[in-house]
Amino acid sequence: MAGPSREIAAAIAEQAAQSGIELVASLPDGWIAALIEAFEADARFDHIPVNREESAIGLCSGAFFGGKGSLALMGASGLMTCIYAITKINYTYMVPMTIFITMRGRLGDRAKFHVSNGLYMEPVMRSIDLPYTVIERPDQLGEIRRAEAHSRTISRPVVVGFTRDLLYGESA
Amino acid sequence: MAMAMEACFAHLVERWTDQVVVTSAGNASEMWWKLTGETEKVFYLEASMSLASLFAAGIAYGIPQANVWAFSGDGAFLMNPGMLTVERRLGLPNLTHFLVDNGVYGATFEIGMSDGGETDYAALARACGLRNVFRFGDLGELRDGMDEVERVNGEAFVVLDVEPLGGALPDPPMDGPECKFRFGRHLERTYGVRIFDARV
Repeated sequence: MAGPSREIAAAIAEQAAQSGIELVASLPDGWIAALIEAFEADARFDHIPVNREESAIGLCSGAFFGGKGSLALMGASGLMTCIYAITKINYTYMVPMTIFITMRGRLGDRAKFHVSNGLYMEPVMRSIDLPYTVIERPDQLGEIRRAEAHSRTISRPVVVGFTRDLLYGESA
Repeated sequence: MAMAMEACFAHLVERWTDQVVVTSAGNASEMWWKLTGETEKVFYLEASMSLASLFAAGIAYGIPQANVWAFSGDGAFLMNPGMLTVERRLGLPNLTHFLVDNGVYGATFEIGMSDGGETDYAALARACGLRNVFRFGDLGELRDGMDEVERVNGEAFVVLDVEPLGGALPDPPMDGPECKFRFGRHLERTYGVRIFDARV
């Protein structure tokens, strides 16, 4: 079976670089394996694998005060573990951040253990007023730069979700 | 053997010059505030639960010319000891991570912890590959050892064995946004970084 698209990964990384992202803190999801490799290989980024997704939130929040653009990259399940960190650190102290996630549990995801993400992740984001945008096609990748800018405007995190079809290069 | 927390922190405050300080929720923030009343060189990360040192690491990463002191409580640390693997990976020479080991949840009436206060955090840090690991259980050791802590080339991890405080102290009287802007403006002025107006 073909894996995630390296071309799409490179295009996402390009948008991240143009957004001023320098630090990428990641924990894997299979869908973003190629994207993690793209960040790791790209000299424009310092890529730091973290031990859990909350650690990415902590590290990237601090990087904001270091004047560095940063990105927390994780799967859908990872975001679900970060509600405490986002609401306590980023909301309490008004710290912007860009978070990339996978839109697990949607149509086309055959992993039964991600059904819960399909059912609850978007309602959870809405319930804590966490702005997010979903990118399904390559022509929407410009949303990444808009999301980063919006995060700084509202002084809160903004989530960018990628679908399986996009990440696998199978979108229409 | 353990130090009185106030005496321990008082010694660190005495040594404190231009380091940027990040304190975690509970006793560390309360004590640093009590002893210094500082509102600009300190980020009181009262809402953190295990993330204070990585928050500090992000600052140290972004501003290599700043020396950053991070304080974690042992209760928070136990929630996320894997943080040490990230700190080792980052290898930031300008970050010193102090772990305040009092064996109890100081912020919540000193309720006991899952480990009964028995964990050897210094050994844990060494097992995670950190090279510059220190443990101080009395003021004499702390006084003698801090010179070496400040001399090491690479991130330092310092366990401070302290006695439970015996009661809560007042919190720093700042809401999150005030803390953000006081601290951030200090970093902008002192280190020339652009934080608030960059890329908007």
